[in-house]
Amino acid sequence: MYINGIGCISPQPTFNNQVFLEEIKEYNTNRIYCVDTDYSKFFDVTALRRMSRIVKYGTAAGLIALNDAGIKTPDAISTGTGYGLLELSQRFLRDFISTNEGVVSPTSFIQSTHNTVSSNIALLTACHGHNNTFSQKWFSLESALYDAQFLLKEGKQNVLVGTYEEIGEFNYASLMQTNDLQAEPCSNLAMFSQNNDGVIVGEGAAYFLMAHEQNTTTYCKLKAFKTAHNNENIEILLQEFLAKNNLRNADVDVVMNGMNGDKSNDAVFNTINKNLFEDATQLAYKHLCGEHMTAVSFAIYAIAQIFKQQQIPSTLVLKNAERESNVILLHNKYKSYHSFFIFEKC
Amino acid sequence: MEELIATLKTQIVEQLNLQHLKAEEIGTDQPLFGEGLGLDSIDALELIVLLQQKYGIKLADPTEGPKVFQTVRSMAEYISSHKAA
Repeated sequence: MYINGIGCISPQPTFNNQVFLEEIKEYNTNRIYCVDTDYSKFFDVTALRRMSRIVKYGTAAGLIALNDAGIKTPDAISTGTGYGLLELSQRFLRDFISTNEGVVSPTSFIQSTHNTVSSNIALLTACHGHNNTFSQKWFSLESALYDAQFLLKEGKQNVLVGTYEEIGEFNYASLMQTNDLQAEPCSNLAMFSQNNDGVIVGEGAAYFLMAHEQNTTTYCKLKAFKTAHNNENIEILLQEFLAKNNLRNADVDVVMNGMNGDKSNDAVFNTINKNLFEDATQLAYKHLCGEHMTAVSFAIYAIAQIFKQQQIPSTLVLKNAERESNVILLHNKYKSYHSFFIFEKC
Repeated sequence: MEELIATLKTQIVEQLNLQHLKAEEIGTDQPLFGEGLGLDSIDALELIVLLQQKYGIKLADPTEGPKVFQTVRSMAEYISSHKAA
């Protein structure tokens, strides 16, 4: 699969694909929200007034990716999201209770269906093709990518694949209750040097125009990916994954690590990097977008930009091996959810 | 009546999230639907919700809708007559 277009809205100003992490936002909190763009450029006033924040940035990210790829109508749309539009669903249910099951505003109901963002993109692009939204916790994006892989094998020329996630009161409270969130405010940019317990939660949306064929807009090739719900033998699984794709450890020029600043989560990366990828450039990204169920999509955005711009912004670099970026391995992880991706330069 | 009309305009802007409009910019006798304010069928449902939540008035007969929601003035008259009743 080739990535032929990207669109990303995140806690960093990433909505303009011509600029790649030139301006970095620093936050001193345990939740970091998206930097919004001017959504009136994407939607008319009537549509805009019915959209919640996540629907705006999710749909806009999809439209940015399509525009970037020069595609008006994708063959299919496949989205992954952990919590989806849970915040709006809860608002609707709360209204329902507070009115004693009386008449409630229809807008939050219409907006809260799980496939709202995907279907908004379809409506705005006249896409009558396959349209699906996967919610598989920390493997939601990966599930959407599997879907896209099958669709491309079946003969579709392109599939718009993406994610969206928002910080809602429910997921924030859940992370607090389970002590998975950093208790004390900490700079996101100092996340990896603080030896912290817990994560900074984030949000965002990213879409990618995945295509069967390479063209002039191509960023890179997604050669392979794999999920592993396992905390044991990850090093072996990773090596098997590389071998299956005819790669040796030394062939990996750059490793994008999914460390999130929580020392219990990140320890494994230090071991793997030392044992397998000592000579590769080491990168990390979750200090920029925060941790959430589809944060991995920010890494894919960053990797695509690294190939296109032929430069690695210093904010991503943990260790620079000064190697040309031909093969990039992405290893994402949250607790026992691991996913591996291989990207190649085109 | 004038006070109710002014309140109603503010409530319409809030309920329908008409961010591009100020309440005072809505004409009292301006049609709410079609070429007037340009509201649509989802907005009609929102106006039904507004009547019930803010004024405790249920629109019992749906065929009354087009007449009641013609303008801000017709809404205010309907509210006045039904609250009084």
